[in-house]
Amino acid sequence: MDLTIKTMMDAGADILQLSVLAGEDHLDRRIPEIAMNRPGLALTGFFQYFANQRLQIFGLAEFTYLKSLGEKEKYKRLEELFKQQVPGIIVTRKRKPLPEMLELAERYKVPVLRTAMVTMNFVNECTLLLEKMTAPTERIQGTTMEVMGMGVLLRGDPGIGKSETALSLIERGYSIVSDDVTEVRRTSRGRILCWANEITRFHMEIRGLGIIHIPSLFGVASIRRDTELDIVIDLRLPTGDEDRTGVYPETVEIMGVEVPCITLPVRSGRDMANIVEVAALNQKLKELGHDAAKELDDKIINRLTRRGRANG
Amino acid sequence: MADEAIVKQFKVLNEYGIHARPAALLVSAAAKYECDIFVENNGNKVSCKSIMGLLTIEGSPGCTMEVSALGCDARDALAEIEELFVNKFYED
Repeated sequence: MDLTIKTMMDAGADILQLSVLAGEDHLDRRIPEIAMNRPGLALTGFFQYFANQRLQIFGLAEFTYLKSLGEKEKYKRLEELFKQQVPGIIVTRKRKPLPEMLELAERYKVPVLRTAMVTMNFVNECTLLLEKMTAPTERIQGTTMEVMGMGVLLRGDPGIGKSETALSLIERGYSIVSDDVTEVRRTSRGRILCWANEITRFHMEIRGLGIIHIPSLFGVASIRRDTELDIVIDLRLPTGDEDRTGVYPETVEIMGVEVPCITLPVRSGRDMANIVEVAALNQKLKELGHDAAKELDDKIINRLTRRGRANG
Repeated sequence: MADEAIVKQFKVLNEYGIHARPAALLVSAAAKYECDIFVENNGNKVSCKSIMGLLTIEGSPGCTMEVSALGCDARDALAEIEELFVNKFYED
């Protein structure tokens, strides 16, 4: 999606509370960089290194400084700022813009917008929104669940029982994010965020049953909009070479992020939901710094080697 | 089918003894065969198909353990297990 003032306003309509003060005809201006700039230094006349590719935020400090300038000087510096063809100017705290700003906005075709939010909140929310709008997303095969605060992606060949396992987990009180198709993007914190496709969100296909609507059957507690991914669980038919100790954990790469991954053999009669639940718990324990398999192995090695040395 | 167990003695040659990784290799090897396989050390006898069992027999480096197999494919099973012991469980 092309990031413009218009698309930003549409996507952030309920969060950013933006209204257009001037430059209504130029809302298709592109926003090349998603960071915001507070133009304080530029307003003092220093335009070297001016971040003109970013949205310019006019808060209390900018207005107070402008007030301290003489009329001519004020106009000159504002004009220089508009001349730099910034993508847009945002006035925070619902302040009244200077009349010069509105005039310059039309002349240089730069939209001036206003929000009721205080500067810091606006910058935070808007940065998050722009990041979300510009981050590359991918669509991957797999069912995403949230199990005790852990994001779990269930993968496996069609018919292996992903949806059935998800259903059992829902019955245990956990929530589903997406069934079979999961949209992912990488966050600025280097995590993977998972959510469902808008069209099929909160629906699920169960073989022999067809399509069901999860919240209608199980209530709103059974669904969740998105979750950060903590562990990938591959369901597979038994091969005989499954990991037996968990001492040497594996990972898979999703959008450049290494995510812990375990493979669970599926046999008829095996309660997969129970095992997935325990896997999520165990991963949670590991993230808290307690790796049971590794600790037991270290203890055993310690004991064996001490004994080995004693034996000569 | 042999009704007498085949018994062999193996020395633990790897640096750390029978910890999780060697135990997992032994179990994966043993699980491929039908026969019953047991490992004995210092009077403790456990199934070679049990991870938790193998972790309790204290197979420290340098000790000698007795592996017995009973069943139609006992000979092949022991041969594969011997490989693991001889090759130090592919460690070091």
